[in-house]
Amino acid sequence: MILCRCEEVTYETVRATKEKYQCDARELKLRTRAGMGYCGGRVCRPLLDKISQNKNERLESQVIPLKYQPPVRPITFQRMQGDHHG
Amino acid sequence: MSDLIIVGAGPAGLRASIICARNGLSVTVVDEYMKAGGRLLGQLYQEKDGEWWNGLQESERLYEEALSSGVEIKLGLSVIHIENSENAWTVHTNAELLTSSYLLLATGAAEAPQPIDGWTLPGVMSVGAAQVMTTVQRVKPGNAGVIIGISVLGSAIAMELDMAGIHIKSMVLPKKTEFNEEFANPLHVMESLSHISHLAPSKLIQWSSPLLKWKYMRNLSTRFFPKRGFKIWDFPVHLRKAALEIVGESKVEGVKVAAIDINGNPIEGTEEIIEADFVCIAGGLYPLAELAALTGCPFLDAAELGGYVPLHSEKMETPVDRLFVAGNITGIESAKVALAQGEVAAYSILQHATNHENFKEKVNRSVENVQQIRDQAPLSFNPHINEGRKKMQNSWNEWLNEHTKSSHLA
Ligand SMILES: Cc1cc2nc3c(=O)[nH]c(=O)nc-3n(C[C@H](O)[C@H](O)[C@H](O)COP(=O)(O)OP(=O)(O)OC[C@H]3O[C@@H](n4cnc5c(N)ncnc54)[C@H](O)[C@@H]3O)c2cc1C
Repeated sequence: MILCRCEEVTYETVRATKEKYQCDARELKLRTRAGMGYCGGRVCRPLLDKISQNKNERLESQVIPLKYQPPVRPITFQRMQGDHHG
Repeated sequence: MSDLIIVGAGPAGLRASIICARNGLSVTVVDEYMKAGGRLLGQLYQEKDGEWWNGLQESERLYEEALSSGVEIKLGLSVIHIENSENAWTVHTNAELLTSSYLLLATGAAEAPQPIDGWTLPGVMSVGAAQVMTTVQRVKPGNAGVIIGISVLGSAIAMELDMAGIHIKSMVLPKKTEFNEEFANPLHVMESLSHISHLAPSKLIQWSSPLLKWKYMRNLSTRFFPKRGFKIWDFPVHLRKAALEIVGESKVEGVKVAAIDINGNPIEGTEEIIEADFVCIAGGLYPLAELAALTGCPFLDAAELGGYVPLHSEKMETPVDRLFVAGNITGIESAKVALAQGEVAAYSILQHATNHENFKEKVNRSVENVQQIRDQAPLSFNPHINEGRKKMQNSWNEWLNEHTKSSHLA
């Protein structure tokens, strides 16, 4: 079952990686590339969060586990380089 | 540079823009969709008193009102980044750069994904997508569909599809996975459905809601729930069947379902295929708060509100200077609550910007109004919403305590 469509990462891969390395959401993302595609994790982010955290960890945290990075929407390289001038 | 930039032209953002503009602020609203109205656009249902709620009309009315109040509305523009420096916000979009003194995030909610085998086949979509196709874009999502997930949102949208003459073959629960404990448990689902009993002409569901107050009765009613399902509108709703997988060669051809026990576990040997050419997945909604996260605003994780929510007071202020929030970004609720929250945010911003005493009173009154509207809301997405709101208020007070203490020390 595919979790991350952009990078075509399956649930099985993410689960196995989690079991093997006992990693947090960020490491899980870096190891599997899930959440690193075109959509910026719009679809699979909540799923990665759920796989990588247990409930108690969630309750204590005041920060979202997977950091949001600008740009939060896909933009062209031209726009990124030129920003508003482009 | 404007006094106020509002991200999101949904009910919360539009209502706030009208009030602020009428009270003298220069206001710019940015929304990435090509039409103003946000999630209000797709809504169409009958309320408890029999009145129809037509979201498309409400959106147009709000949009016209905002324009005539002098609000500048930029559509088809995505905000991709925001920065706070000295006394101004810089709002980066995919086309231009905007600046303002105040920023109101009214970015609404997004649908939580519910993965299931086969969910990447063409013809599978979220219920929200089916809603926009049907009621906004007027395109049929398919000829015969199955809805996976039984929820308030899914039911309201199923009814809209039904009214548009789109054949819904049935509504089933999803198979239990680590992602969906709540949505796959028949008892839990039944409890959440009791809040939309007025939408269901079915006597069964109307009767059952007062009974749901007692846990053992709830147990009983699910146990005796007919295996054939019951009809809410024109299609059967199965609280005793779960979707195991979506099947099809190169596009959706059907859904494999099985009977489930009271805890949501599939019963072997009961599998069957329901044929369909489209499938809607109904998961929950979560607050779309990515822009707030970029500001370093602290968050609270509250399931009753839909997940991670930026810390805020009941006056819609956040710990970040000149940053306000309103609508579903603060927790998943119906459009009428979002409208009322937009009003609170507007008066809070006005009070902050002008320091006028008379806005103080307006803030307090609009805060009370939100609670009243919440209590009468036609749709309640989470039965424990008031607990969620209380949690947020407590966290806010804690933050305030610490903050005032440390600033005294400094
Ligand atoms: C699929 C779906 C169906 C719903 N159905 C119902 C229903 O039937 N009845 C009901 O009462 N409630 C429903 N809701 C709840 C709904 O969220 C509220 O009714 C109400 O629309 C919330 O208002 P809002 O102003 O907070 O946000 P919204 O109405 O969601 O508006 C937010 C706006 O912000 C814009 N936006 C977000 N991020 C950016 C960005 N980075 N840049 C630019 N623009 C941005 C969006 O395009 C959107 O137009 C539904 C929600 C969803 C997601």
